Order: sequence, then C-alpha cells, then structure tokens
Amino acid sequence: MNTSVTSIKLVLLGEAAVGKSSIVLRFVSNDFAENKEPTIGAAFLTQRVNMGDHTIKFEIWDTAGQERFASLAPMYYRNAQAALVVYDVTKPQSFIKARHWVKELHEQASRDIIIALVGNKLDIIENGGERKVAREEAENLAQQEGLLFFETSAKSGSNVNEVFLGIGQKISLKPAQNAQDGGQGSSGLRINDDSRIDLRAPYGQSSAAGSCNC
Amino acid sequence: MGVRPTTTSTSPTPREMYQKSNSSSPSLVGSIMRSLKSSHSIRRLSAGEDAENGNHDSLQKSNYHRARSLNSNGSAQSHGRGVSHIHLSPLRKSSSGNGSFHKDKHSSHSQKRDKYFADLDEDWSAVIEDYNMPIPMISNGGVELRPPVTVGSRRSETGESRSPSAGYPNLPQLNKSRSSDLKSQYEQENEREVQALNSLMHRVAKFDAILNPTHGNQVNVSELRRLSWNGVPMVHRPSVWRLLIGYASANIKRQSSLLQRKRQDYRDGVELVFSKDHTRDLPTWHQIEIDIPRTNPFIPLYQFPLVQESLQRILYLWAIRHPASGYVQGINDLVTPFYQTFLTEYLPPAQKEDVDKICPDTYLSREQLLDVEADSFWCLTKLLEQITDNYIHGQPGILKQVKNLGQLVKRIDSDLYDHFSQENVEFIQFAFRWMNCLLMREFSMSMVIRMWDTYLSETSLDSTSSAAAEAPSSSLPPDSSLQNSPGGAFRETVTSAKFQGKHNAAATSRQTSLSEFHVFVCAAFLIKFSEQLIGMDFQETITFLQNPPTKTWTESEIELLLSEAYIWQSLYKDATSHWR
Repeated sequence: MNTSVTSIKLVLLGEAAVGKSSIVLRFVSNDFAENKEPTIGAAFLTQRVNMGDHTIKFEIWDTAGQERFASLAPMYYRNAQAALVVYDVTKPQSFIKARHWVKELHEQASRDIIIALVGNKLDIIENGGERKVAREEAENLAQQEGLLFFETSAKSGSNVNEVFLGIGQKISLKPAQNAQDGGQGSSGLRINDDSRIDLRAPYGQSSAAGSCNC
Repeated sequence: MGVRPTTTSTSPTPREMYQKSNSSSPSLVGSIMRSLKSSHSIRRLSAGEDAENGNHDSLQKSNYHRARSLNSNGSAQSHGRGVSHIHLSPLRKSSSGNGSFHKDKHSSHSQKRDKYFADLDEDWSAVIEDYNMPIPMISNGGVELRPPVTVGSRRSETGESRSPSAGYPNLPQLNKSRSSDLKSQYEQENEREVQALNSLMHRVAKFDAILNPTHGNQVNVSELRRLSWNGVPMVHRPSVWRLLIGYASANIKRQSSLLQRKRQDYRDGVELVFSKDHTRDLPTWHQIEIDIPRTNPFIPLYQFPLVQESLQRILYLWAIRHPASGYVQGINDLVTPFYQTFLTEYLPPAQKEDVDKICPDTYLSREQLLDVEADSFWCLTKLLEQITDNYIHGQPGILKQVKNLGQLVKRIDSDLYDHFSQENVEFIQFAFRWMNCLLMREFSMSMVIRMWDTYLSETSLDSTSSAAAEAPSSSLPPDSSLQNSPGGAFRETVTSAKFQGKHNAAATSRQTSLSEFHVFVCAAFLIKFSEQLIGMDFQETITFLQNPPTKTWTESEIELLLSEAYIWQSLYKDATSHWR
C-alpha cells in the first residue's frame, strides 16, 4: 500500500515583525534567530509531516509583512488551501491587522481556505512581559470567523508544530468527507509523491463544484 | 555614450556572444566572457577619446584585486619584505613609487598601448610573445632607484623591448616558464605581489590625479566614471562616491564648503524632526525601529547601538521627507553600503578593512560621526531619487523591472524561460527581492560595495534627465499614428521636433538608468545558473534562487557578472529601448 502524499499550499500573512518567518523557520528547521532580516516579497519553504498513514507536504509562502508589499499578497494566497494569520500577542496593532487579513481572505481567497489565527511571541509574556491582546478576544474572533486558533512562541518552539498539524488534520479530513458525500474525493489534493499542486490551477473552482455548502 | 564604452565596433565578441545565446553552450560564453574580461579594456576603446587610459585601467584592475586580497591575508609589511627578495626585477621599484611616478609612466606608455590592443584583437599569441620578450630580467642595477616607468620607456628607447607591456599583470606566470629553474617559487610569488602592489599604486595614483586636477578646478566626472566602473580603491571610495552620485560638487574649490553646508542641513533637519514641536510619525518610526536591529544582523558593525541610532535617524528623516514613498523595507539595506564606506574615511589606513567590526567611536569624534551620517543620508537620497518608483504605492518600478527581466531572459536564454514557464516559476517569485534590495541580499557586503562602484559610475544624476525624461516619453504615441493623422505634414514637423527633444532626453537618460542596468545584471546573474536551473523543478528552483551560492563570491566573479551585464545591455539595447 502506497502512502499517499497530500500537498498543502500554505501562506503566512500578518503585520511586519510579528514572527512569520520565525514560525516557519521553527517548523521547517527547528531553529530560531533573534534578528532575522525582514522578508522582502515572499520566501518559499517546504516541510513534510507524517500523519498516520500518509504524509503531508507543506509548501509554504512566507510573505513580507510591511503594508507596502501587501499588493503582492493576493498572488500568494489566491490558490492557497491554508493560511496562517499571525499577530504578536504584545502588539495590539498587529491584532487589528490580523482582523483585516482574515476579512480579506474571506473575501478574496479560495472559498474553503483553512485559516489559522496565530498569536506569536508567547515567550515574552511567559518571561514577564505584558500581554496586550487578550486570549479571549482572539478566541472570539476565531469562533466567529471559523478559524483555528493557536498561541505560539517561535522562540521557544511552543505550539508551533501544533499549528501545522491542526491544519493538516483539517485538510486531510476534507477529501474523505467529500468522498462520502458522493465522490468528488480527490479534489486535487491527493497527489503522487513527486508531483505537486499546480500553483496556477484553478483549485478553488474544482472544489467549489463539489463541496460548496451554500 | 560618454560613460559606458561600447563593444560593438571593436571585437567579434558580441557577435559570438549572440550566436552563442542561440546555440547555448555556456562554457563557450564563459570563455568568451573571460577573454573579454581580461581584455576588459576593449570596451573602452570604442568609447573614443582615450583608449589607452581605458586599457590601462582594466588591466591594472586585476592586479589591484590581487593586491587587495593579499592585503587582507598578509599585511603591508610582508609586501615590503617581499620586495627585497626580488631585486632583479625592474618592477619592484614600483612598490615604492608614488603618484607622480605613475603619472609619468602612464604618459610615456600611452602611444604604445594602442599597438598592444590592436594585437589583442587579432592574435592573442602575438601578445603573449611580446610578453615573453621583455621579461628576461635585465639586471638594471643602475635603475634601482627609478620608478618602473622609466624602466619601461628606457627599454623601448634602446630597442631592448618590443613591448609596452612591462607594466602589465600576469607577467610572472609567463615568465615562469622561462626561468623557473632560476627562481624559487617564493621569489615568483613575491614578484607577483609586488606587481600587484605596483598596479594598485598606479591605480591609486590615477584616482589621485583625477580627484586633484592640476589645471582648472573641475574634477572630470566622466573620466572618473570611466575609471570607477572597474572599481574604486578603498582610500578614494568616499570622495569618489560622493562625486559619482552627484552629492559632492565637481568644482574642487567649492567642494568642501558645499559639503559643509549639506552636512549642516542634515544636522538642522535632524534637530527639527526630533524636536518637541514635531509630531512623530509613529507608524513609520515603529517600522524603522523594528527593522534596524534586523539590518545586516550578521555584521558586527550594525549591532553597535551608536550605529543603529545613526541609521534610524537617517531612515526616519528620509522617510518623512519623502511621503510619497515613505520608508519601505529594503531601504534599510540600501543605506548601509554608504554608511560603511563613509566610515572608512576616518579610520586609520590599517583599520579600513575592518570597518565592519570596529565600533566607530573608537576612531571617530562625534562630529565626524555626524558627517558620516549626513553623507549617508544625502547619498541615500540621491540613490533613491533614481529608483523612487520602486518604493511608491504598488511598487510599479519593481513590477516593471521584473517584467523586463522576464522578457530579457526570454530573448537571451529561451530554454531557461521555457523551463520556468513549464514549471510555473514566475519571475516575481524570486526577482522581486533582487529589485527591491538591488541584489544586496545575494552578496557579501564588500562585494555589494564593489558592485556599487560600477552602479554609481553607470548612472548619472548630474543631468536633469533622469526623472523628468522618463515619464513623458512613455506616454508618447507611436510614430505611425502621427504620420497617418490628418494634417500630417504640419504636425509632423512640429512633433518631429518634439520627438527630437524627447529622443535627446531619452538618450541622456539612456546612460543614467540604474534600474535598466540592474535588470541586465539580474539577467546575467540568473543565466549564470541556467544549466543547473533547467534540471530543477519548481520547488528546487525557488529554493535555489532564494539562497543562491553567491554569498561567497569574490571580486572577480562580481566583475565578470558586471561585464556580462554590460555586454547584454549593449547587445540588447535596441530591443529594450521601449523600457524607457
């Protein structure tokens, strides 16, 4: 029996310096750098994760956070199946920005994109720093908008893998459900090991045809 | 075409290059490029007026590099000691030569150089013969105290030598075959060092001469550009950059007073902006604040609080003075080559190479630090004037450059282009950063600084054309529509005059577009890895291009890249005329 590989195209969004690149670095290399150069444009990384009898391969686009680069973001989230919207738990402004990203994703991105809201830099609070974004506030947003929610520390590594596992679980459940619904099973997600999802393929359309809930 | 020499008329190389680009054998290109590079000067010949100078520069150049690398390995003293071992070589004197000697040397050799290069085009081996001939170490004991110059010219006078090449690099290697049994390798190495030092000194002297003209008060900036294209000695870099970028005045009488004024302007600006009366633009301030510690995080210099504060002031002042653009990430990178270069001006000679490790207040007074800061601010301002479109809303300048890069690669290396299409690799996915940070993230700082010698030589702000000429010319209707329009004759004359004007403006901006040259550099950069890339899939490609193995590049590789870019630009200038 072949182990199937599911590729997930994932994009990170969020204000500058909230730790998007650090979350990816922790997930991909289990590493941390105190001062990472600001990401310009977007950075691409991959990581494979084994989940039960199959493998998930994350294809990650880590976007630049500064407002000026925001016009590039649609290019990266347009065909993404998952998004991490990251904020800094010590920076209220970054949470406001996160709300904007969630809204934009719901309006512009693929209809069934899985979004995880991620409050990063938890270590600062654990070390006595002041929390500026209440956990409840973020949880409320997550509930209203149907988001996964995590608080993480890329620095300590706490909860980072869980974010990606959470997304992996949610996505790999989907095709199965579809299959029960009546056979749109593969929906472009299950692919062979050496191939990958065509970034330009109208993924949203094909799945919308089968799994639209409205 | 004052600034850049053209290739077209001088050698078959461009044609070969072109043929190559269709038949694709990278090694051929490589070798052509290399030969072109080693005869760099060819490019200069067609620039007209002073071919000899040009030749000279580029050849001196390679020696200069060697000297530099030696410098960083060993020390000035070791060169000195080395000299004593090779007393047979007439060249050794050059190491003790000074500026005026070299000037003499230059003029006494100039008419010979034409011959040298004529030969170069037709027959390399002939030149090599020439090289070999004069090499026998004429034991010029009596010439000991004279500059190498004299040696060269005397030889030609007496007919001992058929070649003007005595002062050129690479002699020791050719020489080796003749006399290897006579000299220890140690001696040969020393000799090479001395020659390297010789040509470095010579080059330094040439810059000295240009920066301190003996007649008149004007620095010949176009001459300076020609010379600087091939690299600027560290000692001269601060003043040369200030001139090239149009910050310092070319009039040496007014230069220092104007500089003083600009530096005072900066101080006043800082004082005003950071005074109580001024409301801080918090989002901008915050953005800069978080980026400062993330700027060049691996270079010790940028970890000193003193330096970080300087950069923060520069960036903030620039940002609020340029609200259309404001601070954009990447601009923090662009200020650092300036800052680092202007710091070297105040470091003792032995410490200049360590500028990236030393806390500046070890050597600089508060006032000097502020001068460095002011110079960096004004030069950054001048640089960004040329690429404003890169940082305004929507970053149209970058999008355009990325598009141009794609089109260029399609022409130059269609295999690679097709491969990218097949793999769904989009240029913007890797080239956005190349444009936004001028490839600074791809190279080490010292290589970036070397690259900027060329970039700043390549572009000129002393003409008024740069910004003004570009916008209107792009909105002009095409020729044909004018001719077909009713009442054509009259309008034609009017518009042709108008066109003429535009055309001239475009012609001036032709040599002033940093963005354009940069696109060619990016193309050359990408195509360098063409063979590897064609074997890669999407992920491998993007991953590779985001971390290309170029952080360890040395000066010769950077210079090869720049030369290639230059060639592509000359070859494709017609095809890319619509870029402007």
